[in-house]
Amino acid sequence: MDLAFTPEEQKFREEIRAWVRDNLPQEISHKVHNALHLTRDDMQRWAKILGKKGWLGYGWPKEFGGPGWTAVQKHLFEEECALAGAPRIVPFGPVMVAPVIMTFGNAEQHKRFLPGIASGEVWWSQGYSEPGSGSDLASLKTRAERKGDKYIVNGQKTWTTLAQYGDWIFCLVRTSTEGKPQTGISFLLIDMKSPGVTVRPIIMLDGGHEVNEVFFDNVEVPAENLIGEENKGWTYAKHLLSHERTNIADVNRAKRELERLKRIAKSEGVYADPRFRDEVARLEVDVVALEMMVLRVLSAEKSGKNPLDIAGLLKIKGSEIQQRYTELMMLAAGPYALPFIKEAMEAGWQGEHVGAAYVAPLAATYFNYRKTTIYGGSSEVQRTIVAQTVLG
Amino acid sequence: MDFNFSDDQEQLRDAVRKWVDKGYDFERRRAIVKAGGFDRGIYGQLAELGLAGLYIAEEHGGMGMGPVEAMVVMEELGRGIVMEPLAQTLIASGVLSGYANDDLKSAWLPRIASGEALVVLAHQERKARYRLDLCEAKASPAGNGWSVTGDKSIVPAGDQVDAFLVPATVDGKIALFLVERSAQGVNARGYVTQDGSRAAEVKFQSAPAALVTKDGLTALEHAVDIGIAATCAEAVGALDKTMALTAEYMNTRKQFGVTLSTFQALRHRMADMKMQLELARSMSYYATLKLNAPTEERRRAMGRAKYQLGVSMRFIGQQSVQMHGGIGVTDEYAGSHYFKKLTQLEMTFGDTLHHLGEVSARMQDTAGVFA
Repeated sequence: MDLAFTPEEQKFREEIRAWVRDNLPQEISHKVHNALHLTRDDMQRWAKILGKKGWLGYGWPKEFGGPGWTAVQKHLFEEECALAGAPRIVPFGPVMVAPVIMTFGNAEQHKRFLPGIASGEVWWSQGYSEPGSGSDLASLKTRAERKGDKYIVNGQKTWTTLAQYGDWIFCLVRTSTEGKPQTGISFLLIDMKSPGVTVRPIIMLDGGHEVNEVFFDNVEVPAENLIGEENKGWTYAKHLLSHERTNIADVNRAKRELERLKRIAKSEGVYADPRFRDEVARLEVDVVALEMMVLRVLSAEKSGKNPLDIAGLLKIKGSEIQQRYTELMMLAAGPYALPFIKEAMEAGWQGEHVGAAYVAPLAATYFNYRKTTIYGGSSEVQRTIVAQTVLG
Repeated sequence: MDFNFSDDQEQLRDAVRKWVDKGYDFERRRAIVKAGGFDRGIYGQLAELGLAGLYIAEEHGGMGMGPVEAMVVMEELGRGIVMEPLAQTLIASGVLSGYANDDLKSAWLPRIASGEALVVLAHQERKARYRLDLCEAKASPAGNGWSVTGDKSIVPAGDQVDAFLVPATVDGKIALFLVERSAQGVNARGYVTQDGSRAAEVKFQSAPAALVTKDGLTALEHAVDIGIAATCAEAVGALDKTMALTAEYMNTRKQFGVTLSTFQALRHRMADMKMQLELARSMSYYATLKLNAPTEERRRAMGRAKYQLGVSMRFIGQQSVQMHGGIGVTDEYAGSHYFKKLTQLEMTFGDTLHHLGEVSARMQDTAGVFA
């Protein structure tokens, strides 16, 4: 047993750190460190910088143009990016759909879709959720009917993150109503510029436009955009979700945000209050314990033995921690968290702040982060999965 | 970064588990509690397995092993809620190896390793609560050695052991001494504690003592940190077993015509218990792997770990009793004894609130496993 990274891993970390320091635009990291609004250009600029280096698909194997990193190397890369204040990689293309295309798609699909994902040129969206289905994904209703060499798609997706920027969307669609609800689902790639696709914003409780409804009205999709076999989409989707849940623990970002919480609490004069400080201390232990759990999973992946069935725990704890630090930051600001001045959340705003400049987005972020225990399979769904491993 | 156990460590685990299953079943344990909570014969069996010499160098007759092996052993003893104070032996051997002079080492370490001598830490005082820097016991030079005067509380197996490690002040500064129980001026009043094991109030009146180190606070902090890591591991074993007992019960006990494990409210609570178990296990690894870190880093890690373990122990212990219903609050059922053990471990080497204070006091600007 050994807690330390190997000298080679340490060297790898230092190389990543130096590269990120030299290549991450300072105006972007400034926004991230201060929770200011990131534009489409900010996100795509960083994606393209990574893409050019061959690191946007940092989890990809070498045969598909990825760096072929180990689980530990991937973790170290994520950590260095997070601590430096890089924006979170928009995961839908490189982290979610790409592994599905690689694993279940054909050679033609590899050639057609992977280069645009790897370079950051093509923006992907995720079409899973539907009104009324929530975490019960298998109940989805959006239909795709095969007509010759096309599918005709009708229905509605919702909670589609950043679909307003989307070029392509990967969708779970119903191709059969026979048998169990899971068996009639297919995995379809849809060009969002196709006639009949409409994107409508959903404004969230923080006033932000992050998610959308996406409508499909007799949308024609070439049959060659089907991944794998018809009615096997559920299997592919589960493959994807297992990816999403490990990623979603996001412990590295939690470390960065805990540092920010301490800075804010100091600056607002509440860090010396033992009652507040104890709350920060509790969170600190939570973050360390989560990090140890992540390291245990990495170690198991590295050795190839003792697989650990604790991915569900990572999602539950990681999302709770994210909520907790946003809550404590807001509480640290006290009444100065209350003014709602949207422009103050933009970088470079020249107006007069109420209180310190950094307090402007704190409440909005707290409100926004209530999503973390709901998306990607709610905490209740995760608990059901965990209980299954304990009780059968 | 690697959390796999070596083949040797797995073999050690198997050996201890076999001994617990065979030599320390629940009826045996119950008999030991009835007889006063300590059985020197049982302790002798642990020593025969080599466990008393686990931390002691081979030149002194020990096995020369490290914190990971100690963790493996303590987990298994926790799984069987073994009462004999092996954690104390780890502490005594660690402190004497690290701080005592060669004469003291040669006199005591081989005897500790063989199980012939049992040495425990006698550091708790009435007013100190869990603080280590508060000490009213005093020591002064006497002849060629020293003498110690003071009262120490809740000393593990205190009326049965051979010697104590005793913090006492010299010119206002804490030093650490070794005092034999058979020495003049030592009086031990024994009793059982809540988990059924044995402890004593020990009074020292001008008792002859050997100096271990004048840097007593440093040694005492190190001693307690060895104890915290061992306690965390012991707790993980007890938590693991508590979870297994509860899962088994939920899958067999029927209410309203179906097993308890079919109720979502209870299933979700089991998921929460599993969460606390895995957080606890993670932080036990963390404590163990930081035991040889530089002092500040080590102390910070122990506070974090013991805080997490305290939270986990209280949650899983209480929930397990609740999910068992009436049977969970009977003396007859093994589960209730795990609950009491977990409760006692929470209050050993600093409770949860105490360690939250430690974490709070030691927080730095950065956070994380390596900070």
